[in-house]
Amino acid sequence: MSRPAIRAVGAYAPSRRLPADAIDAAWGSSPSGVESTAVPAADEDALTMGVAAAKRALDAGGVEPNALDWLGFATTTPPMAEGDLLARLASMLGVPEDTTTRLYTGSVRAGTAALLDAPGSGLVVVADCPRGAPDDDRGHAAGAGAAAFLTGPEGVAPTTVTAHATHAEPAPGVRFRRAGSETVEGLGVSTYDRSAFVDPVATACEDVRTEDADAVAITAPDGKRPYRATGALGVESEAIRACSPVHELGDLGAASAPVALARALAEGHETVVCVGVGGGGADVLRVESTGTIPASLALDAGETVEYAEALRLRGELSDEEAGTGAAYVTMPTWTRSLPQRHRLVAGRCPDCDALAFPPEGACPDCRELVDYEAVSLAPTGTVEAATRIGQGGAPPEFAPQQARGGAFGVAVVRFEAADGAGSVSLPGQVVGEASVGDEVRGVLRRLYTQEGVTRYGTKFERV
Amino acid sequence: MSEVYVVGAGQSDFGSFPDETYRSLFATAFEAACDSVPAGVDRSAIDEAYVGTLGVGGRQLGLPGPAVADHVGLDGIPVTRVENACAAGGSAVRQGVNAIRAGTADVVLAGGVEVMTDVSNDAVRFWLGVSGETEWERLSGTTFSGVYAQMASAHMAEYGTTQDHLSHVAVKNHANGAKNPHAHLRFECSLEQATNAPTVADPLTLFHCCPTTDGAACVLLVSEDVVDEFTDDRIRVAGVGAAADSVGLFQRDTYTAVPASQRAAETAYAEADMGPEDVDFAEVHDCFAIAELMAYEDLGFCEPGEAGPYVASGATALDGELPVNPSGGLKSKGHPIGATGTGQLSEAFHQLSGTAGDRQVDGARVGLTHNVGGSGGAAVVHVLEREEPRSSGESSGHRPREREEGGDDR
Repeated sequence: MSRPAIRAVGAYAPSRRLPADAIDAAWGSSPSGVESTAVPAADEDALTMGVAAAKRALDAGGVEPNALDWLGFATTTPPMAEGDLLARLASMLGVPEDTTTRLYTGSVRAGTAALLDAPGSGLVVVADCPRGAPDDDRGHAAGAGAAAFLTGPEGVAPTTVTAHATHAEPAPGVRFRRAGSETVEGLGVSTYDRSAFVDPVATACEDVRTEDADAVAITAPDGKRPYRATGALGVESEAIRACSPVHELGDLGAASAPVALARALAEGHETVVCVGVGGGGADVLRVESTGTIPASLALDAGETVEYAEALRLRGELSDEEAGTGAAYVTMPTWTRSLPQRHRLVAGRCPDCDALAFPPEGACPDCRELVDYEAVSLAPTGTVEAATRIGQGGAPPEFAPQQARGGAFGVAVVRFEAADGAGSVSLPGQVVGEASVGDEVRGVLRRLYTQEGVTRYGTKFERV
Repeated sequence: MSEVYVVGAGQSDFGSFPDETYRSLFATAFEAACDSVPAGVDRSAIDEAYVGTLGVGGRQLGLPGPAVADHVGLDGIPVTRVENACAAGGSAVRQGVNAIRAGTADVVLAGGVEVMTDVSNDAVRFWLGVSGETEWERLSGTTFSGVYAQMASAHMAEYGTTQDHLSHVAVKNHANGAKNPHAHLRFECSLEQATNAPTVADPLTLFHCCPTTDGAACVLLVSEDVVDEFTDDRIRVAGVGAAADSVGLFQRDTYTAVPASQRAAETAYAEADMGPEDVDFAEVHDCFAIAELMAYEDLGFCEPGEAGPYVASGATALDGELPVNPSGGLKSKGHPIGATGTGQLSEAFHQLSGTAGDRQVDGARVGLTHNVGGSGGAAVVHVLEREEPRSSGESSGHRPREREEGGDDR
């Protein structure tokens, strides 16, 4: 049995919170045991949240992305049903192009499945933002979040998956999403549904010791269902409550159990049982830790939003796509710029050492046509000029995002080279607010969707 | 090298005209220009034409130059469309000046036209962004107002310029434009209205931004060999300067100035053997209020960083020491992209001819026009000088530039 070590964890959740009271005010009921749900920004999706969590895990672990041999991405809400998703994720993270990449999807158990598959020197990224119909319990509970786990060979770190088991059998109608649909459904057959959740957990637990767990990181479609499994697990409710994100963040889909696991490990729990439940089955992982695990979690609450705003942010009320028109940036042109869009790769002039961004055309200083040397920029830069584009004022590519997300900032930011030699300015959208003189860092977000293709790029967020 | 003279100029009304086409607007401007020539002009005298235009309602259009020339009955002459974004018109005039200086033409029509208000909101948004840096700047989510707002943010941070300073530009230009029968937005506004208007791109409010406009303007340029056939009141193109720069703001060394404007002005002043102190009035490119403030500094009307207090002092008002944008500027007169630069020349011609009506600058002898493309990717500056009447038989060439006693109100 492979026993990967977990070398570092990262987690991320959008900071906006929709209080359960707001859902109750709108619908007369709110999801069981959920105090609030995390609402993604208009330019966030599973890919961007996954990148945010993955970068935190890499930073915490002090591991360079080019050292990774394996990258697994788990989500029930991939932003595209087919395409170059994994290659994009690798590019965004700076993972080498010959790295093995795997996608886990189609079930809430995708996150634990990826964890079980991860070899030494791998990165497991789990991110999800499930949606339900606005008038449905699943829609009410829908949250968003991501976790990432840097794995290594057994013995490299004090945290190890010491045992695991899986059990699955068909459970039609429990929680499913039709092909082509964006919203999860369920037939809502109460006792049948409950059995489909608890029974596979009980069976899998026959092969894994669980009753001594300090914390149980279990899938939580709402704030009540996971506690139904305490008997099967032989634990008290407190073990689940110790790390479950469902009460503050809502239903995190495939990321539910992994975010709970990241939290439990970051909080220093030594024996954690991670239980992914979904797709008719359960994965049970026993994770034991004998020391402190490097962790970087961004799960704190920020702004509270009203119900209507949450609907607007989630795109329930407006179109997603931009049209096409003048100043169209062609796909080959766009693709050539991906190292800059994804990782802010600048260029250094071989003749005069000046920096250029983007690294093309004549050198901005010596004006020679040169072949630039790729150069990384420092993780943070300084705002030199800034404005805020009022609602309705965005360029057409960004009109759908603005319709959802409202006014946004745009800044010119000066970055030093990572090695400190020289600096260069670049423009970018601001996440949140930033003024001249503020220090910002790059965050990967959706830019716009045109002709069915979502273009991602770096935006700036105040440090 | 021949001297070049402006013997006529005119414009259509600037505004929103669903019943007009780019051809009909051009024809109106062409007729106005011809009618303004003191001794008249026959269209057959025109040797060549340059037409500044960007998009005609956002539709990509080939050969709009020949199309408008044909429409006004200019048969078979060479016509070239000039595209330099918002500096297209000024660039068309410069091309005309160069053609005459090169000796390839004696009479040149430099025109500009744009139709911007006949397309849907979505379509206009797409094409309004075509003159910026489209791969990085536009895809950071900026519009032109956004880029100029970024400049304003930097100017404010560096020099303490305020939103009220920006509003002074709007108040002044609307006061002037209200006197201009051709202006698009012919109303006055207060400082409070300008500052408290809805924010377009912080710190720019609606009143700190020019409108999108339909319109055309034409300028007739002639060589010194033929100028006497058209007028006794010579208005000489004393200096022309043009410059280009990086299209994206982030690619430039400064965000608080427009280097292309500085270089274009330097060239124009040198050619004219004049300096900012010689200028009696100026038509500057105030697409956004901060652009006019930066123009004061780039053109040498005041020191860097002092434009805010300078406008607030009233120095650039119609009755100030250096009236700027007596026409109302882009802000009030309007900004039909390709016609903006030629419209500035038209205003300068009428000011120097003493035919500017209620907005006439007293004793105007030297006028400057300043036309910027994008956020500073291109700039064109013209210095025009009204020559004093000469006795017959005097040879052409540079005229004395000393101010006449009483001929200047400064």
